Amino acid sequence: MKKRLYSILAILLVAGLLLGACTPKEPVAEPVVEQPVEQPVEKPVEEPAKTFKVGLVTDVGVVDDKNFNQATWEGVVAAQEELGFEAKYIETKDAKDYDANIQLFVDEGFDVIVTVGFALGEATINAAKANPGVAFIGVDQFQGEEVPGVAGLIFDEALSGVLAGVLAANLTESKTIAAVLGTDLVPPVVNYNRGYVGGAKWVDPEIDVISTYHPGGMDVAFTDPEWGASTAKQAIEQGADIVFAAAGNTGNGALIETAQHEGLFCIGVDTDQWLTVPEAHKCLISSATKDITLSVVELIKLAYEGKFPAGNYVGGSSLAPFHDFESMVTDEIREKLKEALEAYNAGKIELPDK
Amino acid sequence: MISESVNKKNWSSINWKLVRSIILGLIVVGVILFFNARSPEKTSAVLSSTLRYAVPLILGALCGIFCERAGIVNIGIEGQMLMSAFLSYMTNVWTSNLLLSLLVGMLTGAIMGLFLAFLSIKLKLNQTIGGTVINIMATGITGYFYQTGLTTQGKLWNIPLGPLAKIPLIGPVLFNNPPITYMAILLVIFSQVLLFHTRWGLRTRAVGEHPRAADTVGVDVFKIRYWNVIIGGIMAGLAGSFLTLEGVGMFERGMTNGRGFIALAVMIFGKWNPISSALAALFFGFANAMQIQLQFMGIQVPPQFVGMIPYILTIIVVSGFVGRSRAPAAEGIPYEKE
Amino acid sequence: MEELTPSQNNWLKKVWFSLRIPFLAIIFALLVGAIILLVSGANPLEAYWQLFKGAFGSLRNFQRVLEKSTPLIFAGLAVALGFKAGLFNIGAQGQLLLGALMAGFVGFSLKGLPPYIHIPLGLLTGLLTGALFAGIPGLLRAYSGAHEVISTIMLNYVAINLSDYFSEGPWKDRSPGNIVSRLPAIQPSAEIPNIGPVPVGFIVAVLTALLIWFVINRTTFGFEINSVGLNPHASKYAGMRTKLLIVAAMVVSGALAGVGGAVETMGVVGRFQPGFNTGLGFDGITVALLARNNPIAVILSSLFLGAMKGGANTMQFYANVPNEIIDIIQGTMLLFVTAEMVIRWIFKLRKQQGTEITVTSGWGQR
Repeated sequence: MKKRLYSILAILLVAGLLLGACTPKEPVAEPVVEQPVEQPVEKPVEEPAKTFKVGLVTDVGVVDDKNFNQATWEGVVAAQEELGFEAKYIETKDAKDYDANIQLFVDEGFDVIVTVGFALGEATINAAKANPGVAFIGVDQFQGEEVPGVAGLIFDEALSGVLAGVLAANLTESKTIAAVLGTDLVPPVVNYNRGYVGGAKWVDPEIDVISTYHPGGMDVAFTDPEWGASTAKQAIEQGADIVFAAAGNTGNGALIETAQHEGLFCIGVDTDQWLTVPEAHKCLISSATKDITLSVVELIKLAYEGKFPAGNYVGGSSLAPFHDFESMVTDEIREKLKEALEAYNAGKIELPDK
Repeated sequence: MISESVNKKNWSSINWKLVRSIILGLIVVGVILFFNARSPEKTSAVLSSTLRYAVPLILGALCGIFCERAGIVNIGIEGQMLMSAFLSYMTNVWTSNLLLSLLVGMLTGAIMGLFLAFLSIKLKLNQTIGGTVINIMATGITGYFYQTGLTTQGKLWNIPLGPLAKIPLIGPVLFNNPPITYMAILLVIFSQVLLFHTRWGLRTRAVGEHPRAADTVGVDVFKIRYWNVIIGGIMAGLAGSFLTLEGVGMFERGMTNGRGFIALAVMIFGKWNPISSALAALFFGFANAMQIQLQFMGIQVPPQFVGMIPYILTIIVVSGFVGRSRAPAAEGIPYEKE
Repeated sequence: MEELTPSQNNWLKKVWFSLRIPFLAIIFALLVGAIILLVSGANPLEAYWQLFKGAFGSLRNFQRVLEKSTPLIFAGLAVALGFKAGLFNIGAQGQLLLGALMAGFVGFSLKGLPPYIHIPLGLLTGLLTGALFAGIPGLLRAYSGAHEVISTIMLNYVAINLSDYFSEGPWKDRSPGNIVSRLPAIQPSAEIPNIGPVPVGFIVAVLTALLIWFVINRTTFGFEINSVGLNPHASKYAGMRTKLLIVAAMVVSGALAGVGGAVETMGVVGRFQPGFNTGLGFDGITVALLARNNPIAVILSSLFLGAMKGGANTMQFYANVPNEIIDIIQGTMLLFVTAEMVIRWIFKLRKQQGTEITVTSGWGQR
């Protein structure tokens, strides 16, 4: 019996080593635990050296999702580099753990807690009410009423959608442009599309915008790159020459697919996807972004300085740099984009319902 | 049991009625599309999207067919696909060798098949649970070891088949595809021949229907089951590799997104017959392509309702309201030698 | 099964006989998890210690474990009861989801009811929804031969689509400021309270487990379900109405899952929201198998799994270990607990009569 036990253990060990041969995912990127606090030079001297800690709770998903979880964490890291504080994140696996995960940071005395995604809105507000003195940054969380201690970082996705639509309308030759979208259960996705359609039609009402939502639920709509790719292909084969992908990893599939076809453009979403999806460099002219990273840095700084706002904090919406395609975007197009921005702010661009 | 009375012919030949109705349906709708839109591009876009969506389903269904024809239930297709997708992707990242990656994917599938066979034949573990274990483990292992930020250069490319690819409409759809798609089509025919026109196939079906009888006439039940489940695993491996090497060229946690389960539905829809199943897969692919096309055309249907269609159709088919479907008789029962 | 045989002289031995396989399976799964942790550069002892602390380190943590165990008990009972009748109810997930949805609907739409009516009404709604939704595959299995594994897998997807539709469509929370797809919060009168740290839902779950134990072991219905599961043909010859029994077993199983969903909505989440109930039905399979289909043991195995899930975030937070390790441990555990042969082979354990798990037969059969 012993012999067998040993042989089993040996087998398990070998299996373990084999598994280990695949480089495992780094347990937690660089949480910089217990990093000594650097006093920023410009800080007034009379303030005692306080420990400042910033925590981040992801939505169901992972922190390195090439998307808004990642962009937010990058904001935390950027602020950390500038100010020097302890930063840590936790990935949520079960939506019912939102409260518990926030609580872990509260218990450890974190000063700023960033919660990512509109799904955490309720948990964030409850935690803020229970823990005055902690600053909560709710990314994508629209605040219906002002709650002290909660800054809802929201973005006007329709605006960056409009800019993407205007860009696409100016570049298209076939007068057909496409959008591959995550589920219509997620309001920002719907807003991107409204802007995209509205912007394109504002340039040229004749343009045909073909857009489609993933038919699956929330759990699959953003993690189905093959669906994104084949949908993009279906659009391209019927003449679309520009594909706007607003669907997380599903959208990344659409970007990569578009890059396989000569002479087409694709537009990414949320962050500058030039940096996150290098496979799409051949077509990625720009991304309809919301400046999550920058806004998170700003809000953390405000909290650090004790000037933390409450209510809605509107972050910037814009287009990402054109990178290799700078020359493709003529002055004329740039002028049109500026014009579109003004027209949008003046409420002159008509947006569809969905 | 009722199995004894079943007309054998039902199981050894293609269900032509289903084939006819599906082909007819495809043609009719295709023609309508063709004339309505007055644009051949749209029709061929819909058709090639149909094929592309169907490929992993066809391969997954073939996996199910091989396993179940030999009497082993496999609900772990999803997990097998996911593991293979992951490992072939990782191989591609490390070596940038597509052929090697494809082989690794197939090998992973084969090993997963061997694992399922070992569990259900040697250990006589309940097969449904064996499949569930594979699904849970695959999610856990790929999620734990996957790291983002990896990129691959290139994926399997289209190989146009000379003049065939120039035939209008069907040329670009059928004869200008990447390799795994061709392989899937060939494997359907290969499987059909293997299962219904060779000794191996006869033995496989005998083992799936009546292992005791097969044993008495000298068929090695265990050997047949092992090999069929391994062959099935290779098919699932190909399906996984299709996703990461040929389809989208990237990996994502949980990216199979239920395709393994739809493949099961496809298999039942096709009555455990490769050609019928392939047609069923095409039908599901067509439903998906059409729902995209409807949205393109600006026709607003809640996507959730369209998303439900394949599942509801499957329930209707398995329940026997339309074309009753019956599984091999000895399926799911571990065989004990006397 | 073993409970039916008259109690033997040595009950301690009996307890060991029924506990040793799950026990060894847990040990082995933790071992496999430890190896993977070790290889990936984490300290398994530290990880497991944090996991334990996360589950039992404080009263609040323990309350979370109870909350997490509650739906697992219901889902586990649902799957276990199915197994007893020879049915594999993979559809517990969908039944639970729709139970949660309908309880959420009743919870927010009916106003002005006193709690002692509103809460039972919500639970009843969940129960009926689950029962109806499981009745479909039950009827199909009994009267058309469609195997429940296939039909319930498909119905799970239908349930997801339906609940998504209602959360975004007709029942969406239209309160000002809300943009999220979800149902409105339930009325305070529909909220299931806690007694001290113990959620009332957990108590209901435990009582239900006892009830199911009683039904299975002490009633004719339970006896008949057992016989159908063990040998449908013999049961038929013995004069039982096997088809009706299959439908009944499926309906009761679905009812259990549906109540689980209702308790989840009314006791933990406070509304129905897509994405908040994922995976519970599937975990029920692990729970049932770990408990070897014994309703009392379902409570224990739910607590165990609930503790792992409750402690996982603390483990991630303090030991920097990705959550997915829990999936790996759970899969390994499931493998070992069901592959008795593996453990018997390692330890050369004697086989005890009646410990095999009756699960399903192939899906072509009646």
